[in-house]
Amino acid sequence: MSTEMVLEVKNLVKHFPIMSRGVFLKKQVGIVHAVDGVSFAVRKGETFGLVGESGCGKTSTARAILYLDPPTSGEVYFEGQEVGKIFKSKNKQEILKLRRKMQYVFQNPYASLDPRMTVADIIMEPFAIHKHVPKSKWYDRLYELLELVGLENYHAERYPHEFSGGQRQRICIARALAVEPRLLIADEPVASLDVSVRAQILNLLQELQRKLGITYLYISHDLSTVKHICDRVAVMYLGKFVEIADTDELFSSPLHPYTQALLSSIPVPDPETKALRIILPGEVPSPINPPSGCRFHPRCIYAKEHKCVENAPKLVDVGRGHLVACERMFS
Amino acid sequence: MKKEKSTKLELQYQNEKSRPKGVSQWNIAWRRFKKNKAALVGALIIGFVMFLAAFDSLIAPYPPNATPGFYVGEARVPPSLKYLFGTDKLGHDVFSQVVYGARSALYVGFGAAAIAMSLAVLVGLVSGYYGGLVDNVLMRITEIFLVIPFLLILLVFLKVITAVAPASIGGLSIVTLMIGVFSWASNARIIRGEVLRVKESEFIEASKALGASKRRIIFRHIFPNVLHIIIVLTTLMIATAILVEAAVSFLGFGDPAAITWGHQLQLANEAVKEAWWEGVFPGLFITLLVLGFNLLGNGLRDALDPRLRE
Amino acid sequence: MLMAPKEILKIENLTTHFYTWAGVVKAVDGVSLEVKEGETLGLVGESGSGKSVTALSILRIVPRPGRIIDGKIIYKGENLLEKTESEMEKIRGKEIAYIFQDPATSLNPVFSVADQLIEVIRRHQNVTKEEALEKAIELFRLVEIADPEIKIWSYPHQLSGGMKQRMAIARALSCQPSLLLADEPTTNLDVTIQAQILELMKNLKKKLGMSMILITHDMGVVAGVADRISVMYAGRICESAGTKTIFYNPLHPYTRALLEAVPNIAMKREKLKIIPGAIPNLVSPPSGCRFHPRCDFAGPACVSAVPPLVEIEPEHYVACVRAKEFSGKLPSRS
Repeated sequence: MSTEMVLEVKNLVKHFPIMSRGVFLKKQVGIVHAVDGVSFAVRKGETFGLVGESGCGKTSTARAILYLDPPTSGEVYFEGQEVGKIFKSKNKQEILKLRRKMQYVFQNPYASLDPRMTVADIIMEPFAIHKHVPKSKWYDRLYELLELVGLENYHAERYPHEFSGGQRQRICIARALAVEPRLLIADEPVASLDVSVRAQILNLLQELQRKLGITYLYISHDLSTVKHICDRVAVMYLGKFVEIADTDELFSSPLHPYTQALLSSIPVPDPETKALRIILPGEVPSPINPPSGCRFHPRCIYAKEHKCVENAPKLVDVGRGHLVACERMFS
Repeated sequence: MKKEKSTKLELQYQNEKSRPKGVSQWNIAWRRFKKNKAALVGALIIGFVMFLAAFDSLIAPYPPNATPGFYVGEARVPPSLKYLFGTDKLGHDVFSQVVYGARSALYVGFGAAAIAMSLAVLVGLVSGYYGGLVDNVLMRITEIFLVIPFLLILLVFLKVITAVAPASIGGLSIVTLMIGVFSWASNARIIRGEVLRVKESEFIEASKALGASKRRIIFRHIFPNVLHIIIVLTTLMIATAILVEAAVSFLGFGDPAAITWGHQLQLANEAVKEAWWEGVFPGLFITLLVLGFNLLGNGLRDALDPRLRE
Repeated sequence: MLMAPKEILKIENLTTHFYTWAGVVKAVDGVSLEVKEGETLGLVGESGSGKSVTALSILRIVPRPGRIIDGKIIYKGENLLEKTESEMEKIRGKEIAYIFQDPATSLNPVFSVADQLIEVIRRHQNVTKEEALEKAIELFRLVEIADPEIKIWSYPHQLSGGMKQRMAIARALSCQPSLLLADEPTTNLDVTIQAQILELMKNLKKKLGMSMILITHDMGVVAGVADRISVMYAGRICESAGTKTIFYNPLHPYTRALLEAVPNIAMKREKLKIIPGAIPNLVSPPSGCRFHPRCDFAGPACVSAVPPLVEIEPEHYVACVRAKEFSGKLPSRS
């Protein structure tokens, strides 16, 4: 693994305005702080995990990186180029070039395939958009892609509804790979699959990475799969990162109280394990009015009166590339 | 053991290979449609009326507007072998007139539906896809069309037209155009809603992430996915247009030169008791054709509903 | 020696089919299981394995076009399938309560939580409104909701997912049922909230001593909560045993595969074992053992005949023709 950075995200912010209902004029009545100043870098060829509970902003981060929802502020660099600048330039050629490099695999393979198109049409659509494959080679390339994701040639003429969830996710992956991307953002790619099928897709993703050297940004709420597939992991809580570390480091010695609670909450399939379970009090606060200071302080057992309520802690490197955002690290 | 399993899998694959072509949603819809008896009856009725319209001059025993009974004292005679549906006051053969009326009914139905649905699809797609200000403006216009007392305006307009310009303009076409222009609004709203639903789908997002242009997204992804709604709405729109035209003609605002079932009903109105056949047969055909389109529309809706999968 | 606890529920050969236009979906096909008094049975299976339909069949609330066509459901010595509809109405909620996967859809949005609880309490118990309200507040304390006197007047949409599930549990407990059917009660919740709810359910069971069927697809969830586990696959039970036996000495290949193919936090990071293929279509399920097309150990006997659920070891039932061979011979799981 090289240390070359494929993706760099600097202070990314994504706010969604809440509009009142009106006939013609709409007024902003609030802001959802979906992502609030997130910075990280993804190395070439690694799998970077983005973990958090629902509503923590992990999907908003991914969508902002891809410019599906333009970020409110902050910069995203892809292989040194600033993504926002390219999209704002409205230069169609440049935008297409960038789109080819970053691809997205969605959570729900049942909704992310056009039900009226055959698998061949779906996987060959990228060829029509980017024209990077000569028309005479379309079918050759299609069959290559099908083989790559473990599907058969005859599947090409079928429609999405004729496939199981796992096979549909394979089709989605093939479509994403059709543009030969350098970065694949996988947003909960196995969450909606049957448990016995998840392993197939996880193994496929790992195999593809080995063969093609793609970098993954893997988004999930499921720490078990994250531990299995990721090299480094960032833990997100209410729009901010609380901890970034190598996977083994994070799972063996988590430092942030939230990470600790999260890890101990996962039910372990072993009746003998009587692990100390940290039960967090209360629930995740609303991202419309996030708590002051450290956003985790209302649920944190270590929270100190003033420090945690007033100061928003910054991510600090505590060695071995392990970053934590917690006041406790200073004392 | 391993070997057994692999051969078994191969067998399974071979079976699958024996039908390599995929089954599209349209195939499934057709399979479902075939099982729906009511819808097939509807299609049959429409087919029958189309047949009448296509070969009207061959089927009808007398030419259009001919009054075979007038000079031979056979005005207002009840149905017989000579006059299948009887004759009216002027000696028109009711059967012949009903057959000629089929073409008018279909002309108005298809014509008005084509105009209304074109507008509805255009407004629905644009409004739904672009959203924002465009959507706001288009939807307010749509609402205006929804609250207009459409039939009254139509009647007043037709009155003015016939007063200003004589029949030379082609009255039936004017009626068709007017019905079309005034009935797109509710359909546009339904299509817009459907577009909004499809637009939020992940497969649209996936296309955007691939860099697909707006044109590609609208025509390759959104349109095919709202087409089933458009088809259903069109059939129901045809039925509505036929009814409205019948009403307009019955009230005497229609094109006097055209042979329409509504107009025949109006003529029959003055002698309901003495000559029931004058009104019953055109009325029956209006009911039958409208019923046909409604049955077909309902059948199509059930068959094309994407929520009902195999 | 102590007498073994009596079973409160015994299901024999339950068969529930759905008559759809695409064919007969054999959702539950000859399921037998039992729940002893005071015990938690974990019913584990993937989507479409028939675990929810089994639970719905117990209460006889299978949605159309489903029908229970065979079997016996013996609850406290009486066959529920022979009861009249009005007798069943007295059992639902009062004797056997149900907690749904999605608490949001099982609560009526137009009534306050208090109104809904009072209604349930008064339907089965002869109390005044005030007494019912008091009981409802008591229930809220039981499910560990803070400020129950105030929170009880909120409407469902004002509650978060975890709170709704607590509220649903409170409602299920309102008439002190003897048996609780919990259908994926934590699946829609975040892990930290899931931990809260599981802890709560464990405490409640200890406190109230009722029996429970916990339905889930997550082996991790049942590991800490269930006393015994029944594993379902494609409409049939493939293995039933004590929790430890299921985890440390599974004899059915599907149970083993489920434990090995699903990544879990305690696992080493290595290539996952995979179960090939997908869950079968239950309109035309595979012949014989329904797992055979995906099974590493399948032989001709598995294709031809349906393996019966046999007691291989004491209290360890397995539906696999080769289970005896595996007994004590399969490499133990690390």
